[in-house]
Amino acid sequence: MVNNYRISDLMTCTIADMLEDGETVFHGVSSQMPMVAMHLARHSHAPNLVHLNIPGGVNPESIKKASYSSAGADLVEAGESNFGLDEIFDLSMRGKLDVAFLGGVQFDRHGNINASVIGDYDKPKVRLPGGAGSAVLIPTAKKAIIWRTKHDPRTFLEKVDFVTTRGNLWKIITPLCVFVFQNGQLELDTIHPHTTIEEVQKQTGFPLVYDEVRYTKSPTRKQLQILQRIDPDDFRSAEM
Amino acid sequence: MKKLTTLQTAVSGIKDHATLALGGNVLHRAPMAFVRELARQQKSGLRLVKTAGAHDIDLLCAVDAVKVVDAGFVSYETVYGLPPHYRAAVQTGRVKTNEHACYTVISALRAASTNVPFMPVNGLKFGDLIDRNDYFVVVEDPFTKEPVTLVRAIVPDVAVIHVQECDEDGNAVIIGPKYEDVLMSRAADKVIITTEQVVSKYKMKQQRDRIAIPGFLVEAVVHVPKGAQPTSCHQKYDVDDKALRTFLSLKEKQEFKSFIDSYKKLDYGAERGNIRW
Repeated sequence: MVNNYRISDLMTCTIADMLEDGETVFHGVSSQMPMVAMHLARHSHAPNLVHLNIPGGVNPESIKKASYSSAGADLVEAGESNFGLDEIFDLSMRGKLDVAFLGGVQFDRHGNINASVIGDYDKPKVRLPGGAGSAVLIPTAKKAIIWRTKHDPRTFLEKVDFVTTRGNLWKIITPLCVFVFQNGQLELDTIHPHTTIEEVQKQTGFPLVYDEVRYTKSPTRKQLQILQRIDPDDFRSAEM
Repeated sequence: MKKLTTLQTAVSGIKDHATLALGGNVLHRAPMAFVRELARQQKSGLRLVKTAGAHDIDLLCAVDAVKVVDAGFVSYETVYGLPPHYRAAVQTGRVKTNEHACYTVISALRAASTNVPFMPVNGLKFGDLIDRNDYFVVVEDPFTKEPVTLVRAIVPDVAVIHVQECDEDGNAVIIGPKYEDVLMSRAADKVIITTEQVVSKYKMKQQRDRIAIPGFLVEAVVHVPKGAQPTSCHQKYDVDDKALRTFLSLKEKQEFKSFIDSYKKLDYGAERGNIRW
């Protein structure tokens, strides 16, 4: 056990722990944290994990150049072969993508995800970037993981403004906790060691569902050491 | 037929309300010189097609050149944040977003490339995107009787693609990630290439295995070194961080104009003979 880690380290290590050896795993744009987590997994318990990304570089050896973008040519340059976005989507459609990392801005207890608009779709109060591949990947990838660096009652709320997609998501990780989607609803999986169940409830706009309070595993010393090495410029914290 | 032309001439052939597929992806290899010239020539009512766009779409929205955006994602990446001009245009109703799931843009272009009116999309099964957009329809699979979602074909009038190397016949080499550019070149009615370098036909023939877009598909070739700036162009230059941050801070029409005009020398450089190749 160690205590000298930040929330971004904890989130990155927790995401890495969700990944298994041999899985095919995809991340999109603006996805530095999952990208680093995938590398952490490859450098620890999952050396045969297959890293797929938008520019198409399979298993880039290094991610140290991906400073401002997780969709740049550096991932191809450092990759061992090429497999483009269209092919990654096709792979997911035929049931062979194990894990997809996706974003979103609003989530409700029923597993609805909004990455499109706040307010009305046709004349939105806030136009969000859009769900990117979510609407086709969440239904088809074996496991869909969402990470969100914000956890407040406007993010986790009773009802989303717009359903960009829903269902079949596996886990959502936030700075406070991990949700798991099961029994048709978002249930609390673990809360992070630095928080309390009261705090998580206060920041969540719907009643939390859980049998008992379980805590997220802290990063190990080894994980933190690997992070130092593979992500020395701290891209994992870009969104924090 | 002579395909090498100037940026101004190539852009002057674009009609208002045209559907344009823009090559590259987010902050990478966007055809920015062409986009800036669209703004200078005050094109309007454009429909832009791309899986994931950023500065290109944002700039054209800033100057009111756009009517519709068909995309899965429009935003700069994490460090640069959200696209202010695109958002403002959508939120005030000047621009309509046809939100896609990235893959559905690909499917719609695949439909166009094979000249069928729509493409079935596995995966798009739930949610408001299907309900609120008329380009998605759920029908019964005539063979299995299961529901299947269709996306309507998108046929771009022109695909505009910035590449590293091209010869005068339009044979184009893309170094590094190709994103959806090859598909766009097959789906669009016409293809315009802007290129960092114009290489000889002889040199191109020596490396014909690298050609991503064969010349017979290409209508015009424009020599524009730095033509993707301030987005990146693999093996040529990285993003221009300062220019992107400057653009994101602009608010007034005059400021957009000055920003776009500040690239004039660069965008027109090759045709004035300032740049040798």
